[in-house]
Amino acid sequence: MRWWWAVAALVVAVAAELAVGRGVDWPQLDPLEQRILVELRLPRLATALLAGGGLGAAGLLLQAVLRNPLAAPELAGVNPGAVLGVLGGIQLGLVPADSAAGALVAALLGGAAGGSLMWLLARDGTPAQIATYGLLGSAALAGITTLLLAYQPGRFGNALRWLVGSVDGRVWAHVSVAWPWLATALLLAWLCSAVLGMLAAGDGHAAALGLSPRPARALGLALSVALAAGAVALAGALAFVGLVVPHVARALCGADLRRALPAAALLGATMVVGADAVAQVLTLLVQSGSAGQRLAVPAGAVTALLGAVALVVVARRSPHVEVS
Amino acid sequence: MTEPVFTVEQARYRYRERVVLDGVSLTVRAGESVALVGRNGCGKSTLLRLLTGADRPESGRVLLHGRPAYAQRRRDVARQVAVLHQQLPPVPGLTVRQLVAQGRYPHRGPLGMLWRPEDAEASAALAATGVTGLADRQVDTLSGGERQRVRLALALAQGTPVLLLDEPTTFLDVRHQLEVLSLVRRLHTERGLTVVTVLHELDHAARFTDRVVALAGGRVRADGPPGDVVTPALLADVFGVRGRVFADAHTATVRALADEPLEEG
Repeated sequence: MRWWWAVAALVVAVAAELAVGRGVDWPQLDPLEQRILVELRLPRLATALLAGGGLGAAGLLLQAVLRNPLAAPELAGVNPGAVLGVLGGIQLGLVPADSAAGALVAALLGGAAGGSLMWLLARDGTPAQIATYGLLGSAALAGITTLLLAYQPGRFGNALRWLVGSVDGRVWAHVSVAWPWLATALLLAWLCSAVLGMLAAGDGHAAALGLSPRPARALGLALSVALAAGAVALAGALAFVGLVVPHVARALCGADLRRALPAAALLGATMVVGADAVAQVLTLLVQSGSAGQRLAVPAGAVTALLGAVALVVVARRSPHVEVS
Repeated sequence: MTEPVFTVEQARYRYRERVVLDGVSLTVRAGESVALVGRNGCGKSTLLRLLTGADRPESGRVLLHGRPAYAQRRRDVARQVAVLHQQLPPVPGLTVRQLVAQGRYPHRGPLGMLWRPEDAEASAALAATGVTGLADRQVDTLSGGERQRVRLALALAQGTPVLLLDEPTTFLDVRHQLEVLSLVRRLHTERGLTVVTVLHELDHAARFTDRVVALAGGRVRADGPPGDVVTPALLADVFGVRGRVFADAHTATVRALADEPLEEG
């Protein structure tokens, strides 16, 4: 059963993440190491699980309701909008720099605004047009974010977290805000999954079966914004997770959203946890090379590399991912 | 006379500036098998859309079981009427079983679809159209004829007494055309389904339905049994061709042969 491969991959990723974390020497943990494990390593792991699960599920929902294999939170204006929301909120003094709840609200507003803008521009377009608009719009939103950063660089020590995406330094205070939101959104998305799946065969098909396509699509878009913005508020715009993971999820579980959605959440979590384990190893290598320099490689840099490779594989198998 | 399923009274419909339907009146009763024929763009597909209430007429009335079709809840309509549109877009990764199970939505509702929508009715629909063996294949890998049978299974899974088909034989070779139309005919006779089919081939209309309704100029130009309606005059008047009509003893129907286009006046 293919589910077992996905679960096994997650277990391996979690084990690697915990094994490579600094300050904890397995298997004998002294009290300090136990505190580090509980107060730093575990919330970091939870952050990676939640952010990856949210982005993977958001991407799958978007691709399903837009009927576009190139749809993704980062290409639909949602992630760049959420990043702009968080950083803009901090910059304008509306959001305290370390408030998890403030970041969540700002990311939701920004993500919803960015997503709506893209949707208004591109809604009647072909999949390629939608993707192109998304690319342009995302670049424009990222440009505005950069302008904000350049305007007052001193206030943005943390900006890289949201721009590139990182789970470093996240503690239970952040996780405790994010998980109820993401878990609720994921549960709602699953409850809607059978209905949203009916949009995959076209609006005419859905309407003939008695499902009004417009409200159904709006619901799917809202849920994917909720998931992606929740993930971005927690761990930033981790690149490619929402684009690549849905393809893998469908290849493993087929197009039926009732199964593909949990699979996408699981695989997204696996991808980000694994990427962070790699990022931590890279951090050790970088720091051993340059004495005194303190640089933590962000997980988002690794997901971008992994995702780019995976995307090439997906693209070469286009137009549609085959499922045996 | 059985009760009317569809009642259309003086329905007018405009698409942008163009008048598509200009006062169509038509009654379809339970258990009838009706062919809608006419030239491209004569409003056949539009009329189907009005019958299901997917669109509303500009003036006039379109009733489904006595109530305006447009005003009824979509799911209520989908429990009464199943529609086969001309084309199904690609559905990458979706299997036949999963697609056909979606036909249960009108009865089960959003949450009912979460747990095993592949129920007995869906299985029976697969069996009735002879596609049980294809159940685990992906829809996108099927041939044209297989696809149409799967789509008929989807419509049957809705369990409706009424079936609307919009050019079900487009893109099919002649053998698969006959297969699909015979299957629909059998469902009509065995289950008493009310069937309204948009058809291009007059021969098919004559052979597989009991009543032919010809649309031209936004109106019903002829309406009656195939033997009365399919005439050289109809070929000229509705289709703009000079042609001949023969009685065919083998199929006990009339056959129409179009010879050449008439000068457009």
